[in-house]
Amino acid sequence: MESSITMDILDKIFTLLIFPGGLFLLILGLAYEWVDRKLLAQLQNRIGPRWFQPLADVIKLLAKEEVIPEGVNPWLFIGLPIIALAGSLTAALYTPLVGLPPSHSFPGDLIVTVYLLSLLTLCMGLAGSNTLDRFSLMGATRTLTQLFSYEAPFMLSLLGPAIVVGSWRIADITSYTENHWLLLSQPIGFLVALIGLIGKLEMPPLDAPEAETEIVAGAMTEYSGRGYALFRLAKGAELVVGLTLVASFYMGGMANPLLFLLKTLLLLLVMVGLQTLITRLRIDQTVGLWWRYGTLLVLVQWLGMIIWKGVAS
Amino acid sequence: MESKRQDERFIIPIGPQHPALKEPAHFRITVDGEIITNAVVRLGYAHRGIEKATESRNWVQNIYLVERICGICSHIHATAYCLGVERLAGVEVPPRAQTLRVLVAELERIHSHLLWLGVAAHEAGFDTLFMYSWRDRETVMDLLENVSGNRVNYSVNLLGGVKIDIDNQISDTIREGLAFLEERTLHYLDVVSNDMAFLQRTRGIGVLTRSQADVLGCVGPVARASNVPRDVRVEAPYGAYQQYPVNIVLVEKGDLEARFIVRLKELLESYRIIREILDTLPPGELTTRMPRRIKEGETISRVEAPRGELFYFIKSNGTDTPERVKVRTPTICNMLSVLKLAVGHQLADLPMILAGIDPCFSCNDRVAIIDHRRKSPEIWTWQDLRQYGIEYYNGHSR
Amino acid sequence: MKIGLMFRDISTSLFQRPVTERYPYERKGTPNRLRGKLKWNLESCTGCGLCGLDCPANAIQVHVLDRKEKRFILEYHADRCTFCAQCVHSCRQGCIDLSNTDWELAALDGDVFRFIFGVQANVDEFLVGESSADTESPTSE
Repeated sequence: MESSITMDILDKIFTLLIFPGGLFLLILGLAYEWVDRKLLAQLQNRIGPRWFQPLADVIKLLAKEEVIPEGVNPWLFIGLPIIALAGSLTAALYTPLVGLPPSHSFPGDLIVTVYLLSLLTLCMGLAGSNTLDRFSLMGATRTLTQLFSYEAPFMLSLLGPAIVVGSWRIADITSYTENHWLLLSQPIGFLVALIGLIGKLEMPPLDAPEAETEIVAGAMTEYSGRGYALFRLAKGAELVVGLTLVASFYMGGMANPLLFLLKTLLLLLVMVGLQTLITRLRIDQTVGLWWRYGTLLVLVQWLGMIIWKGVAS
Repeated sequence: MESKRQDERFIIPIGPQHPALKEPAHFRITVDGEIITNAVVRLGYAHRGIEKATESRNWVQNIYLVERICGICSHIHATAYCLGVERLAGVEVPPRAQTLRVLVAELERIHSHLLWLGVAAHEAGFDTLFMYSWRDRETVMDLLENVSGNRVNYSVNLLGGVKIDIDNQISDTIREGLAFLEERTLHYLDVVSNDMAFLQRTRGIGVLTRSQADVLGCVGPVARASNVPRDVRVEAPYGAYQQYPVNIVLVEKGDLEARFIVRLKELLESYRIIREILDTLPPGELTTRMPRRIKEGETISRVEAPRGELFYFIKSNGTDTPERVKVRTPTICNMLSVLKLAVGHQLADLPMILAGIDPCFSCNDRVAIIDHRRKSPEIWTWQDLRQYGIEYYNGHSR
Repeated sequence: MKIGLMFRDISTSLFQRPVTERYPYERKGTPNRLRGKLKWNLESCTGCGLCGLDCPANAIQVHVLDRKEKRFILEYHADRCTFCAQCVHSCRQGCIDLSNTDWELAALDGDVFRFIFGVQANVDEFLVGESSADTESPTSE
C-alpha cells in the first residue's frame, strides 16, 4: 500500500513540475511566444526571430542583475513575479493541456482556472503600484482597469458552454465539446471569448497597459533580471492556457496532441491576424467598447441558448 | 524633487530617453488621471555647436558640415546654404543644375514623408503600417543611391552647381520606382482615411484652428493642414521652382487626420513634379566657376524643407571662411503648437500629437541667450559658458 | 466605416518570401555611383593640394617630396573620410576617384585605416622620414 501512495505522490509531483505542468508548460509557452512573433513577422513581410530567441531572452534576463528601486517594498517586489508564475502554472493543471485529459478536476474548477489566470494580471497591477515610478503607476492603473472590463465578458463567454453541458467542470465540458462544435452553435460567444482572450493577454490591439510608445513598459517598467524573466514566462504560460481553454471549449475539444497543436495554432493565427490589422486602442476606448458591447453580446447569446434549450426540452 | 505626488496631479517626464522619441528632448507633462493639464518642453540635448564650427571651415567644407545638421533633410540644408553663398558671390547657376537640385529635393521629400508615415503609425501602435511604409521607403532610397551614390547625406551640391547628372537609364529607373510608390501611396491614403480603428486615434484629435496656427507661427504641413496657405515653394519660388510650379495642398480640418492627408497628398504632388522634370530636363552644364573668397555681405535664403520653412542667414567678411551662419529650422516653429494642443487631451494622444508635427530634434537645437544683466550678450567665450554652467548647477543643486 | 484595410497586404505576405536581404549571405550589387574607398591616379597629380584643403574631414594630406620632379605622396585616412566626393571635384586633373565596389571597410584595429598612396620608392622615402622624425622627438604628443 505504501508503495502505491509513494507512486501516487511521485506521479503528482511529476505532473506538477515536469509534464504536463511546470517545465514542459514553460517550454511550450516559449515556443508559442516564438510562433506568435514569427507569424507576426511573416505577415509584415519580414524575417522574424530564430527558434531559440525567447529561450535566449529568458537566459539573458536570468543572468542580469536585478535592480530593486528605492521606495518599494522588497518582499512584494521579489515575491509578485513568483506568485504570478505560480498562478498561471497552477491554472494549467485543470485544462486539457496537450490533448490529454486534465490531471486534476473537481466540480467548479472552471471558475478557479479563470481566476488563477487573472491572478497574473492582478500581480502585475500590484507590481506596478508598488513603485514610485510614474510610468509604472499609470501602467498599473491601466492594467487594473482593463482587468475589470475584460474579466466579465470573458468569464461569461466561457460559461456559455458550461450552461449547455450543465456542469462547471472542465473535464465534463471538454468531453461534451469533442463531439459538438460550439463554434457553429454559439458564434457570438466565440467572438466574445476571442476578443476577451486578446484583452486578457494584453496583446495588441488591446495592449494599452503596456503601450511602449506612451508609458515605456507599463507596470513592468521597473523590473529587470529575474523578476522580469518570471513575468515573461508567466505570460507565455498564460498564452498557452488561454488558447487551450478557448480552443477546447469552442473548437471541438482536444482528443489528442496533434489536434491540440492544430487547433491552438489556428486560433493563434487568427489572433496574430487581428494583431496586425488593428491599431492600438486607447484605454478609454477599449474599456468603453468592450464593457458595454461585450457583455451585451454575451447576454444576447445566453438568451438565445436558454430559449433554445427551453424549446428543445 | 518632482517625483512627489501633488494632490491628484502627477508629473510625467517624457524624455530625454523614451520610446516615443526618436531623439532626445524633455517634456514635463502634468497629468490628472489620464488628462494632461500642463506641458513644458526643454530642448538642447542634441546641440553640437555646428553654427560655431562653420566659422572655422572654408566655404566648401561647410556644405558638408551643414548637410549633417539633420539626416532626413540633409540635401535641403545644403541647398539653402549653396543658394545663399551663390547669391553673395553673384554667381548664376546653370538651369540644368538647378533642376537637378529640385529633383533630388523632391526625392528627399518623398523619403522624409514615407519615413514620417511609418514613425507616426508606430506611435499609434499600428506596427503593420510602419513596416510596410518603411519597406516602400527602401525603393526611394535605392533611387537616391542610384542617382547620387549614397542613401543618406546625398552630397550632390557643389558651390556653383551639382556633382551628378542623370541619363536615360537612371531616368527610367526613377519612373519605375515612382509608379510603384504611387500605387502604394494611394493605398496608404485609403487606409489612413478609412480605417475605423486608426481614425479613432486620429480624427478630431489635436485640432489646430486656422487662427491658432497663424498666431503660433506654424509652418509646413502642420500649417497647411489647418488651411493656412504657407509654402515657400509657392510664395517665393527659388531655384527651378519657377519653371516647375507647385500646387499647394490644403486641408481644412486641422486635426491629426488632416496632417496625415496633407503629407500623403504632398507625396502625390512630388511624383507629379518629378515626372515633369524627367520629361523636360533642360540641357546644359552642371557647374559654374566659383571664387574661393566670397565677397563681403549678408544674405538670407528660405527654402521649403519637408517639415516646413527653413531659413538661413549667411554673413561673409571677404575671406574664405564665413563670418556667421545662422540656421532656423521648421521644428522650432511648430513645437509651441504641441504644447498648446496637449492640454486637455489624454496622455495616450501625446505621442501622436508630437509625431504629427514631424519633429526633428537634431535640427532644432540652437542657443539663444537672453540675459539682461550683461551689457553685450552677443559674444560668449568658452570660459563664459563654462562659468555660467557652474553657477547654474550650484544654484540648482539637488 | 471599414476595418482591417491592410488585409490584402498581410494575406499576400503570408505566402511570400520576406523582403529582407540576408546580408552577408546575399548581397545585392552596388550601383555604379556608389562612393566607396578612395583611389588615386598619381600620373596626373600636380601637387596643388586642393583636395586636402577642401576635404571637410581632413582625411587627405598631400606631401610634396619634390615639386619639380613631381614626387608626391597622398596620405588618406579612411576612418575620417565621409565619402562626400568633394575631392573628386576639387581636383582639376581628375586624379581622384571613389571606388564603387570597395565599401566594406570595417576593421577591428585602427591602424589599417591609414593609406599611403604613391610610387613605391617615394612611399619608402616618406615612411623613413616619418619614423626618423618620430625617433628624434619621442615625447611629442
